[in-house]
Amino acid sequence: MEFAETLQLMGAGFLNALTPLNLLMMIGGTAMGIIIGCLPGLSAAMGVALTLPLTFTMEPETGLIVLGAIYCGAIFGGSISAILIHTPGTPASAATAIEGYQMTLKGQAGRALATACYSSFWGGLLSCISLYFFAPALAQLALKFMSAEKFWLSIFGLTIIAGVSSKSMVKGLISGALGLLISCIGLDPITGAKRFMFGQSYFAEGVNTTCALIGLFSMSQVFILAEKAIVKRARAAKFSDKIWLNKEDRKLIRPTILRSWIIGNIIGILPGAGASIACFMGYNTSKQFSKHKEDFSHGSIEGVAGSEAANNAVTGGSLIPMLTLGIPGESVTAVLMGGLVIQGLAPGPALFTEHAGMTYTFFAGFVLVQFFMLAIGLLGCRGFAQISRLSDAILIPAVTVLCFVGSYAIHKNMMDIVVMLIFGVIGYLMRKMDLNTAAVVLALILGPIGEKGLRNALRSSGGSIGVLFKSPVSWVLIILSVISIFAPILMAKMEKKSQDNANKGDPVEA
Amino acid sequence: MKKMKKIDFGVIAVMYIICAAAFVSTSKLDADSRIYPHFCTGLLFALTTLYLIQMVVAAKRYGTESGVNEVFANFMPKQFAVCVAACIGYMLLMYAVGFYISTVIFLIALLMYLKVPVLHSAIVVAVIILLVYFAFSKFLGVRLPAGLLFK
Repeated sequence: MEFAETLQLMGAGFLNALTPLNLLMMIGGTAMGIIIGCLPGLSAAMGVALTLPLTFTMEPETGLIVLGAIYCGAIFGGSISAILIHTPGTPASAATAIEGYQMTLKGQAGRALATACYSSFWGGLLSCISLYFFAPALAQLALKFMSAEKFWLSIFGLTIIAGVSSKSMVKGLISGALGLLISCIGLDPITGAKRFMFGQSYFAEGVNTTCALIGLFSMSQVFILAEKAIVKRARAAKFSDKIWLNKEDRKLIRPTILRSWIIGNIIGILPGAGASIACFMGYNTSKQFSKHKEDFSHGSIEGVAGSEAANNAVTGGSLIPMLTLGIPGESVTAVLMGGLVIQGLAPGPALFTEHAGMTYTFFAGFVLVQFFMLAIGLLGCRGFAQISRLSDAILIPAVTVLCFVGSYAIHKNMMDIVVMLIFGVIGYLMRKMDLNTAAVVLALILGPIGEKGLRNALRSSGGSIGVLFKSPVSWVLIILSVISIFAPILMAKMEKKSQDNANKGDPVEA
Repeated sequence: MKKMKKIDFGVIAVMYIICAAAFVSTSKLDADSRIYPHFCTGLLFALTTLYLIQMVVAAKRYGTESGVNEVFANFMPKQFAVCVAACIGYMLLMYAVGFYISTVIFLIALLMYLKVPVLHSAIVVAVIILLVYFAFSKFLGVRLPAGLLFK
């Protein structure tokens, strides 16, 4: 694509994103994301899953903007409870709690919140640069993929996500294989034969992905909350200082933000790594390069900036492999990909050619969301601090109702609620047994792509399995799949090392 | 590697049962239709067996532990059972009396059981009902279940 054409698309994207409806959705999505993020019982993936049904009837770009806004808002929102009650709202803010809470104890909660806001804004905004420049280039590469390569790509995607989020790599892979088997439910896409339909015509088109997403991420969380005693959450620390940064503070954290942006962005692009790793790496790097090392563990503004800029820089980067190759690196992007599929769009080159207008509007919306996050964050921190105290006793019934109504709203079918509940139970049991729910979701999405690729490749070769190993691209994907199976071991070591360094002197409730 | 958790045998047993059921169920299909389900079943079977081998190795090297206490630490069986039963009851009630009435009953009952103060409960019920009404009924135009009794 010509540079001038790209610039034109970028401009058009901004014009489309600036419609009153899109702006309203950005504000609503960001605020909702911050609320979800600052509630310690809820996660970004769960928030995005719960909102999916709301985006179903929207224009694809508007729906994606809402989901992107919730994603960014939730990652930032986690810092509010981390700073004020020493409990990170999401794992992505675990490192923020170390310095943020110390600042609160010193009566500088407003300064800590402003730092988190400002750093999150810059981290998120700068991450959009890579989204604009790397995504179209990677999409060009995906054009080379034929049937066999598509099959291996689906396997590669699964090996990536199966390796993360679960302690045992083999258990993660088992989760992926289970998801692939579930994706076979329904009529055979080529011959029309019935597969695992349990005598129900409802399953003819397969498992409803949205219901599965809501069940696996949101309903299962309700069960997780319901099994534990309801504890009163700590009262958020009262603070009287302004939520604002002066010129000196901004100057002090500038280099930290730039470093954390690079770290967060690279981690975001790398499938398998996520915001929880980025925040500790950003924090550690800020400590290494700081001229005020003595402030660390006693309330360092650079520590908060390092962690928050890095975790928000992950957001833009993590969208790149998801949008171009269809391989989300973590659970939130897996759910976002579900949102894309629900809109009838497939990740890949078509998003940058056929649907370029929609994609660039989403990108522009993603940029604008960062500005709303800054404004809403700075103006609403005191209010969000109160919400972060919301008891699990309220969250359990409230989230349940949203799960039910969300599942029903898609096809207006009571069976969808039953399926959602079944996946809620499956998700709960999987989480208890340390299996990986994100891998199941990804397998549900990638399964049909992989099946089509495998069967078309075998048909074109008259059933010879050698066709799967013929092209160099296939071999690259096979090698990458093997590497990605072992990468989590390295990632886990990196995370542990960063966490150990960061936690010296401050045990954090994560 | 850690000690082998006996509770993981449950995972392995369930996976083998799924594999067996899937294999039997798809064996009757024609060759073309069963390729992919058999590939997935074979993959699940192989990975489960690999995990079983890992468990046996861990048991020999480091010994065994139940794992139940770790998985179900601080588990509140009564509260959990009530919440699950409430969810199932909510679904059945929704089918019978419709969305709004069943939601109000479900919310009040569960909030009361979880000892949420009355004023807070009233606010939660009002907020949820209004949220669903405006977001789903008005904004998305979704016709929520009216219930068998009111059809």
